[in-house]
Amino acid sequence: MAVSMRLLVRRLIRLSHRNVAVSRAAVLSRSHCHWEPLFCRSFSDDRNTHFGFETVSEEDKAKRVYKVFENVAQKYDIMNDAMSLGIHRLWKDMLLHAMHPQPGAQLLDVAGGTGDIAFRFLDYVRTQQEQKRRREARSMQLQSWQEISNSYPTIDEGGRQESRAVVCDINKEMLKVGKEKADGKGISAGLSWVVGDAEELPFDDDQFDIYTIAFGIRNVTRIDQALQEALRVLKPGGRFMCLEFSKVTNPVLARIYDAYSFQLIPVLGEVIAGDWKSYQYLVESIRRFPDQEEFKYMIEDAGFYCVQYFNLTGGVVALHSGFKL
Amino acid sequence: MFPALTGPREALTHALRVRLLCVNPVAFAAAFVRSFTGAKDERPPPFDASLLRVLVCPLSKKALRYDAQTNELINDELGIAYPVVHGIPNMIPQDARLIQKEVDAQ
Repeated sequence: MAVSMRLLVRRLIRLSHRNVAVSRAAVLSRSHCHWEPLFCRSFSDDRNTHFGFETVSEEDKAKRVYKVFENVAQKYDIMNDAMSLGIHRLWKDMLLHAMHPQPGAQLLDVAGGTGDIAFRFLDYVRTQQEQKRRREARSMQLQSWQEISNSYPTIDEGGRQESRAVVCDINKEMLKVGKEKADGKGISAGLSWVVGDAEELPFDDDQFDIYTIAFGIRNVTRIDQALQEALRVLKPGGRFMCLEFSKVTNPVLARIYDAYSFQLIPVLGEVIAGDWKSYQYLVESIRRFPDQEEFKYMIEDAGFYCVQYFNLTGGVVALHSGFKL
Repeated sequence: MFPALTGPREALTHALRVRLLCVNPVAFAAAFVRSFTGAKDERPPPFDASLLRVLVCPLSKKALRYDAQTNELINDELGIAYPVVHGIPNMIPQDARLIQKEVDAQ
């Protein structure tokens, strides 16, 4: 009972948009000499939100996030490998395994940028289809010639819909990098690229079987709007899946993770991508994102059912999943 | 491959040819291919028409019409046109063009 009250109070605090990072900033400023001045918007009618540990107006956040990803787009994949020591591939593979898409599934990958999830999705479905075909071919070898000739029309029947992935991102640079990757890999069938806003998706209602957003939702200005849009475009029975950095549960690991995030990642960003500030924003935005339970409540608020989360790598990343019923 | 090097001129041209082929084979091949395809450096990638089945205007959620000449997706109801850049439709309302305003200006 006390636990739920505490969570309720925390939600109310979050809803009133109070800046709780000031105390944290004071603690961390000892170890960090490099801070942006806090923005003061006393005359703004629009609400304030956070950009890392800064407070900015909502429209500013969108613009600054856009700039961050425009700068890092070319080196995004390399930086991901360097920062997570390649573990991000395992996280995305786990997302696909949890998703277990069936042949004919329609995927919408929001904030998909460079297309990692979409590529994995198409690979998964194609491998499954090939395995199924091989199994069928093997079983057919024991049949008589009449049975085989009868089954020919059913093999060629293309009535079933092909699986397809649509990658949607607000940032044109990231999509460009993704499209180049796809062209390099020779994947074009069943893959589409759209520039769109997660808060205002350019898709009709009840279109997709699966909606994924991997490491993108913390950059969205109004997360609740993005969740509502996700609910709208999913078919009834569709699944919402979100991979995002979250709170580490183990205190020892949390200390190591904090030190790694604030000391090493911006340095890596400067060395590899030549951009300290963008990666400073990255680690700060991770700290400002709600933890696993709070985000689970936000997803339930939007109208999803059977919401659950799985902690990966000790809570560094959480995989949230919900259904539209 | 190894012509008779009869004089300095032949040697020079041979050396240049070898350099081009060995040091920069990619550029050589690219130039070769480009000469065949003609002056098509601006090849705009074709827009995937199957996307039209799922795409709608983000503001009104109504269906769109693809205009091949201007390479835009048009919402006739609201009079806005979304550009298609490098084969990727840009569905951000702020980047869209107002058609009615242009008609009034004329």
